[in-house]
Amino acid sequence: MRGLYIHLPFCVKKCSYCDFYSLPARLGSLESYVQAVVHESCRYAGLSFQTLYLGGGTPSLLGARNLRNLVGGIRKSLDLSKLVESTIEVNPESATSELFEAVKEAGFNRVSIGVQSLSDHELQSVGRIHNAAQAIEAIKIARRLGFKSVSVDIIIGLPGQSWSTLRKALETLVGAGVAHISLYCLSLEEGTPLEKSPPEDLPLDDTQAQLFEQARAFLLGCEFAHYEISNFALKGYECLHNLNYWRGGEYVGLGPAAASHLYGRRFRNRADLDAYVERPDGIIEDVEELNARDKASEEAMLRLRLLVEGLDVSELAARFGQDNIEPLTSRLDRMAHDRLLVFDGLRYRLTPSRILTSNPIFAEVLCF
Amino acid sequence: MDSIRNFCIIAHIDHGKSTLADRILELTGVLHTTANAQVLDSMDLERERGITIKAKSVRMPYQSGSGEKYTLNLIDTPGHVDFNYEVSRSLKACEGAILLVDASQGVEAQTIANAYLAIDAGLEIIPVINKIDLPMAMIDECRLQLEDMLGLLTNSALLISAKDGTGVPDLLEAIVSRIPPPRGSSDEPLKCLIFDSYYDSYRGVIPHIRLFSGSLHCGDRIMIKSTSKVFEVDEVGYFLPQITPSDRLVAGEVGYVGATIRKAGDIHVGDTIISPDYVETPAILGFKHSQPMVFCGIYPIDSNDYGKLTTALEKFQLNDSSIVYEKESSAALGHGYRLGFLGMLHMEIALERLKREYEQELISTMPSVVYKVVTTRGEALMLDNPSKFPPTHYIDHIEEPIIRARIIVPNDFVGACMELSESKRGTMVSMENPDTRRALLTYDLPLAEMTTGYYDKLKSVSRGYASMDYDLAGYRSGDLVKVDILVKENQVDALSFVAVRDSAVPRGRALIHKLRKLIPRHLFEITLQAAIGGKIIAREDIAPVRKDVLAKCYGGDITRKRKLLEKQKEGKKRMKMVGSVEVPQEAFMLLLKMEE
Repeated sequence: MRGLYIHLPFCVKKCSYCDFYSLPARLGSLESYVQAVVHESCRYAGLSFQTLYLGGGTPSLLGARNLRNLVGGIRKSLDLSKLVESTIEVNPESATSELFEAVKEAGFNRVSIGVQSLSDHELQSVGRIHNAAQAIEAIKIARRLGFKSVSVDIIIGLPGQSWSTLRKALETLVGAGVAHISLYCLSLEEGTPLEKSPPEDLPLDDTQAQLFEQARAFLLGCEFAHYEISNFALKGYECLHNLNYWRGGEYVGLGPAAASHLYGRRFRNRADLDAYVERPDGIIEDVEELNARDKASEEAMLRLRLLVEGLDVSELAARFGQDNIEPLTSRLDRMAHDRLLVFDGLRYRLTPSRILTSNPIFAEVLCF
Repeated sequence: MDSIRNFCIIAHIDHGKSTLADRILELTGVLHTTANAQVLDSMDLERERGITIKAKSVRMPYQSGSGEKYTLNLIDTPGHVDFNYEVSRSLKACEGAILLVDASQGVEAQTIANAYLAIDAGLEIIPVINKIDLPMAMIDECRLQLEDMLGLLTNSALLISAKDGTGVPDLLEAIVSRIPPPRGSSDEPLKCLIFDSYYDSYRGVIPHIRLFSGSLHCGDRIMIKSTSKVFEVDEVGYFLPQITPSDRLVAGEVGYVGATIRKAGDIHVGDTIISPDYVETPAILGFKHSQPMVFCGIYPIDSNDYGKLTTALEKFQLNDSSIVYEKESSAALGHGYRLGFLGMLHMEIALERLKREYEQELISTMPSVVYKVVTTRGEALMLDNPSKFPPTHYIDHIEEPIIRARIIVPNDFVGACMELSESKRGTMVSMENPDTRRALLTYDLPLAEMTTGYYDKLKSVSRGYASMDYDLAGYRSGDLVKVDILVKENQVDALSFVAVRDSAVPRGRALIHKLRKLIPRHLFEITLQAAIGGKIIAREDIAPVRKDVLAKCYGGDITRKRKLLEKQKEGKKRMKMVGSVEVPQEAFMLLLKMEE
């Protein structure tokens, strides 16, 4: 299993909480950016991918022609014939019928809509440029055009958010036929406007935790499975691209700031758009190759995020060698004994009550 | 020997001692130019704080107006309230002292304290009024103060400006004409005083010495009087101010001796060096021994560094022999040392030097004085650490050290100083007026109040004008109780403190409140309590953390995720475990900060 991620580092306007790499879109810059990505893809010529994910930034800013050129361009060097899932992130303000037609035409079978909230007040408070009506409309168009796999992102902990606004949003989304929901807790990232001047009605961690628990209970009641810490899906609609991350799979990231995991190495392109456009295959940095023991621990940490699937250490043993997973296994057993994990004789899973306080557990798994 | 003059400069802080030393060094040709550099203050810290901490000596050639040649030895002295001990041992190496007074400030508290030390040591005192170039100079008033407060004859006082050099040549003449030459003979058995020392990583301990009789050559065998240890001299010399080897040192001279002294404990500043051939040579007496008054615990941040801390302390004590230390262990902080200091400023400087010059990463605990705890059985225990106190029901009463403080303050601030002193449990002994614009207040105060910022507050209520000096006046019984701090039912020994009963509850409450803000939330609830004996006087709870999770996917940037977890864990390593609770190091200095 191998995934392909393409980063589109452009936004109309940066949201106040966002610390991802994105810049204002410049006239004409999209075309040259698409060319650069196509150029970079040659580096990985011949590799076959099963999933494709176009994330951002705002990929929906590309428009029909650029989208066509991008997918057509990379197809020349990469083997996309075995794709089973192709996702594009779409922001509600750019979600027109024309765009979805183009998306469909370019071969995408899954859309992830950046809904974030269905309260106009909450959306405005963090600088989103769309409103609730546009978000609902975007889902409707996608469904009407035949996208079965529609995912939405929802933020927990927006200024002024309460369980009543959140519940209403979830009800609406489930009713609109959304099959996958990502629930992200808002975090104050260093250097963002939100971190510099947080509004007074910003829900604190405790409130976030409570909202998350309430949302989780609601979604479980709607047949959604809580299959990863931040992700809920109806059966068969889990995001394969992201599952591959958590299963320690290989992936290639194209574009500035995109991360890759290939042949046992993790590396990343520098977050520098200008340098990237100039030399699309020359800005790799932070190359990291862990030894087998650390690699096994890292994968265990990732797999424990999969709440349903869990972690089967015999799989790790087969890949990394029994010797290299023994210390890990003894740590896992100790944590199972302390009820931080649940062990069913085959797999370890996070104890549900510890989902929101899993960092210390993961740190222990990694054993720095 | 008749051509040698050994002298020091004593002054209140900022009265221009280092500037005068620079001028003297220039006039004698030892120093050619001074670009801001105050030669005797070589430690960064000294320059930063503007005070001389370590005594040092410089040898200078001097030709008097009448054409005679002299050798002058300037022995530096520290000028702060905590360093009387170092002053006294520097004085012991001299025959005369320049008593320097800032003409714009007048006689200050340390001027008096240091002058008394010099008078007691039998030194010839040359009163010198400095900064006469300043428009605010009050020369006549200074003369009056010197006469009234110190009983010095001031018709012989010299008027100088160390800054521009006015009067300094006359001062040099006065040094050779008024200060007597050293006595003693080079033919008598060796006797010299160790008045300072430093550690050289190649040559070991290098004592700074003053020879009272006999002579020292390379190859001589010497004996340390107090330990009877014998060493062979491999180098003698003096400071110009750079280290300069010579053939020999003779009676009356000041210099250093290298003798491959490896262990810090082998010599002590204040000790006498004699010849092993004349073991009956008496030790040099009259040396005032240091008396630590303030104690605190120090612990390595990483408990694996305990060995390094031990080595650093051994070396540090060679540089600062007024520090005492012994092993201590704390349930919360592990193995460390309890250090005794001359006062609060001494403590601050010493801890800072340990961190900077000796590169130690330390946690220091709340400073404490030495309490006299009288048990119900009538035993009197001298305890410098509240956590070592016996259980409350075995304590009959607690006595605390009292100091007698002399404070000189402009009339405008007398009220504020009195109010502050009363609020710090002081009792006034007397109030005098040394001149028309200032008052000399004498107060008896608990020494413990010094550890909680009395001196800083005194400076602030007097806008920096008040000066203070103190000495220990004895012990007094007080209504004192020990307050214990419990974190999730575990007593934190390093946080116990002694307080007057009336203030124990508010202080306990305040500390608990600060702790609640400082200790991060854990996955479980943490109860914080303050208690006297078994009685809880304050309580707060830290609610369990409900959210500690990395949610975002970061586009598959797993390395970033792992590094965030790593960083989180790294932060925890710098915490100390109290039972299952991680307590940040700052918590152990909280009480001190609270008073500010």
